[in-house]
Amino acid sequence: MLEVKNLSKQFQDNVVLKDINLSINQGDVVGIIGPSGTGKSTLLRCINHLEIPEQGKIILNGKTIALSKKEQKRKDIQELRESTGMVFQRFNLFEKKTALENVMEGLLVVQKKKKEEARRIAVEELERVGMASWMNHYPKHLSGGQQQRVAIARALAMKPQILLLDEPTSALDPELVGEVLETIKKVAAEGFTMMLVSHEMNFVRHVANRVIFLDKGRIVEDGTPKEVFEHPKNERTREFFAKMNMMSQPEYII
Amino acid sequence: MSGLKTTIILMRKLFDFEQVFKQMPEILKYLPVTLQLSVISMFIAVVLGLALALINIKKIPVLKQITQIYISIVRGTPIIVQLYIAYFGIPMITKYICFKNGIEYQPSETSGMVYAIIALSINESAYIAETFRGALLSVGTGQIEAASALGMTYFQSLRRIILPETLTIALPNLGNSFIGLIKGTSLAFTCAVVEIAAQGKIIGGRTYRYFEVYVSLAIIYWILTVVVEQIIKLIEKKTRIPEQVEMVKTDVIKEI
Repeated sequence: MLEVKNLSKQFQDNVVLKDINLSINQGDVVGIIGPSGTGKSTLLRCINHLEIPEQGKIILNGKTIALSKKEQKRKDIQELRESTGMVFQRFNLFEKKTALENVMEGLLVVQKKKKEEARRIAVEELERVGMASWMNHYPKHLSGGQQQRVAIARALAMKPQILLLDEPTSALDPELVGEVLETIKKVAAEGFTMMLVSHEMNFVRHVANRVIFLDKGRIVEDGTPKEVFEHPKNERTREFFAKMNMMSQPEYII
Repeated sequence: MSGLKTTIILMRKLFDFEQVFKQMPEILKYLPVTLQLSVISMFIAVVLGLALALINIKKIPVLKQITQIYISIVRGTPIIVQLYIAYFGIPMITKYICFKNGIEYQPSETSGMVYAIIALSINESAYIAETFRGALLSVGTGQIEAASALGMTYFQSLRRIILPETLTIALPNLGNSFIGLIKGTSLAFTCAVVEIAAQGKIIGGRTYRYFEVYVSLAIIYWILTVVVEQIIKLIEKKTRIPEQVEMVKTDVIKEI
């Protein structure tokens, strides 16, 4: 359904992504993991064209969309953005709008829907994430977890073909992580195609049906959660998990 | 007793308290002119200032340098000089252009009001541009990113997301600018526009009671400013996000 071809991105001299090739099927939930600064977020942001890569193409339902500055076409990028939904680490809700208006915004402005219809869809989406009772609240009235659930509803309302989640829980209190993960799990179960960048290894393991391990801008591991977590092929992946396990095990046992 | 009376009479010779209020209606006849000058100039200045700020922020080549020079010149020269230049300079240029193209035109047919508005709005736009620049920069990039991720064009996110927030942030400063502009209109006499300050001078010329005239003007301008301040406070209150919002009962939602 979505294919990434030869994607490369660098910030000045710092190469963040090196020739990434990736193919995602309908209904896939792809977990992207890896150490900090390896380009996980940049990969998602390039797919949404929030970051402009030096080279690379995306093939969406058979249509080739060039991403680089030289080759990009405004219409193609618009189409790409309309078919991908993005959930940000810091929620990025519109501060001057209520939860309901936040979800309605894209429907009204981009999809040019009638107000009543946009409202109906928005209420539905807010119900899906369990935020319908808060629809008249402004972002500043909501907790981080609630804001992130509204942000997920906002992305889902656009009926994207693929949902991109960029560390959706890493700006949240540990107590609030649960509600957001629960929401993502529910959405995944409904058959949405997703790419999820996360540090919540256990969650990725349970919700994803494919895991990609990125290191220094390259894909070093790609397989089912079982393959990647239990039998990592690459030395770097093993080292990463070893460090993670060290953290999760108790320091001493009586 | 008679001592007090003579003091009052003497005082009246120095400062005629009654005159201050007695001449007010005559001055206030020209209040519409002052208001017209301020409101029209403010409107033009806000539109122009916003355009200048956007050019600066979007870093449009060439235009950006031009706006920077424009802001620097306008902020670096006194408003009275700008009024004179507008009043005497613009007719010279238009007359020359019309003469070159063989169009019949008498600059004296154009009212001084036009030149005053041009000068005042240009002057104010430079300050407002800086106000807007600061306000635009304070809108989080996150919201702009979210808007473009939804598929909104820059113009759409500008209109729907960025501008509403920018205006709220800029409002107190815009209010300040407007108050400054109202007082600035008192110089419009240089363009042969009779507004309240000019009318005051005319009355003073007749009665030789200049001091009383200036006291009347001070009172009028001050009241005007207080009214404007209150209006701005009201708008600020209206645009503020409410402190608390009621929860919506879920069974009610289904009915909607």
